[in-house]
Amino acid sequence: MTPYFHKEPVLTLEGVSMSYQGEVVLRDISAQVLNVVRPGMTQGQVVGFYGRSGIGKSVLCRIIAGLTAPATGTVRVGEEQHSVQAGDVGLVQQRYPLFNHRTLADNLLLAAARKHEPEAAKREVAAYLERFRLDQHGRKFPAQLSGGQRQRAAIAQQLLCSDHLILLDEPFSGLDVAMIDEVKKIILEVTTMDELNTVVIVSHDIATTTALSDTLWLMGYERDAAGQLLPGATISKNHQYDLAGMGLAWHPNVEAEPEFNRFVEELKGEIRAA
Amino acid sequence: MKELFAPNAQPSRPVFATMVGAQLLVLVLLWVFYPLQIFPSLGQVLRALGDLITTQGLLQELWASMTTALQALAIGTVLALGISYLTALPFFRPIAYAATKMRYLTLTGLTFFMALMLSSGHEVKLSVLVFATTVYLVTGMTSVILTATREEMDHARTLGLGEWRSFWEVVVLGKLDLMLEVVRQNFAIIWTMITLVETLYQSEGGIGLLLYKQNRYLHLDGVLAIQLVILATGALQDYVFVLLRRVFFPHSVLTAAAS
Repeated sequence: MTPYFHKEPVLTLEGVSMSYQGEVVLRDISAQVLNVVRPGMTQGQVVGFYGRSGIGKSVLCRIIAGLTAPATGTVRVGEEQHSVQAGDVGLVQQRYPLFNHRTLADNLLLAAARKHEPEAAKREVAAYLERFRLDQHGRKFPAQLSGGQRQRAAIAQQLLCSDHLILLDEPFSGLDVAMIDEVKKIILEVTTMDELNTVVIVSHDIATTTALSDTLWLMGYERDAAGQLLPGATISKNHQYDLAGMGLAWHPNVEAEPEFNRFVEELKGEIRAA
Repeated sequence: MKELFAPNAQPSRPVFATMVGAQLLVLVLLWVFYPLQIFPSLGQVLRALGDLITTQGLLQELWASMTTALQALAIGTVLALGISYLTALPFFRPIAYAATKMRYLTLTGLTFFMALMLSSGHEVKLSVLVFATTVYLVTGMTSVILTATREEMDHARTLGLGEWRSFWEVVVLGKLDLMLEVVRQNFAIIWTMITLVETLYQSEGGIGLLLYKQNRYLHLDGVLAIQLVILATGALQDYVFVLLRRVFFPHSVLTAAAS
């Protein structure tokens, strides 16, 4: 097993709850992502975050991204662990939005201008275009890009202005096998760009999410002592898995391993039971 | 040929062009060979057109109306954009809502009030046109603003753009091509109203006044000739707007093709 140790927190959810029109959607979610250090390696980490459709994943995503305030609780990010604000966390939404009226290079420049002076921003954009294999397409408008190019562009744009933490909302939804492989490749590439880069995948694709993740959070409902379902989804302590510690992370072809498949089946059992 | 009558079919360009050409030809032939009793013949209309151009200054009148229409459109567009963009602030939403409902107001009484408030006939004429254009434009423009989705706004916010900057990027810059389309579609309103306005204030002439006079003396060939000139001008205007959209907003053509 690759030796690793945890350092400071990069994302902390503390007692996060959310209600809409009296209906509890999220209940008392507390979880923390710590910076993973692997000696001799420059690689960030992937946090998988599984939840069934309609459970409130997108709501939690918006809360983590600072786009909406939770009813109770706090979300803290960064080395200083300050309260999250919109723009602190990159969020790549399901349909990979870009500004359709701007060229690809302009889209990236707008994001880069947040952190860099104009000349430095241009250099950053050029470097990202090359890194994400988009250097031939800088002058194109988003409508002229293929699905894969658009995904890479949307991720690059968020990386250019976020502080190492990037959320991908349902990145595998509606994609074919080849496209899923492409997205997986991009995610791994993002984690290797900087050891502080943390990618949070929010998905209902349990197998793919688990295969990519170092840490897995399972979102579900809990029952009280009488066996009654409690309102609002949560992430209980029992459902926070350190896949690296379990020896199920950082394997090139982990999906083919029997141990991995046994674990995924176990997770599926848990989900069905809930 | 079959595909011309198949639902949602996409005939090739040459087939479509041939079809349009044939339809026009049939229309002209019908006009030439089967003139209705009340409908002037093509020859009469062409003669009337020549007469209107040479003796009654049709082109000058058209130019006078066109400049007034463009002036009204420019002022109306600026006002409508202002009112529509201000809907970002809840305080101004009732004003925009009221503006959209003013489409139902008849202009007859309104011109009287405007005449009381303004000094020259030109100002009254212009203000009536500006009023009518603005209320229609606000209706279209606020609808365009409502097409901005939460996903688009969230995308801007996640890039660290503040609320106003996000609004600027998503709603103002992002929807400017659609605003131009709203202006194009509503330009026709001005032409339908210009006759009424020009007959109320006749000192400056205009194609509307010319049309009114031809109609009054039952010169149907002249009426038809002027109507055709207005139709051609409108078609040309539409074409210019499409060109402007292609030049200034090349992405809009791509987005429309991709969707």
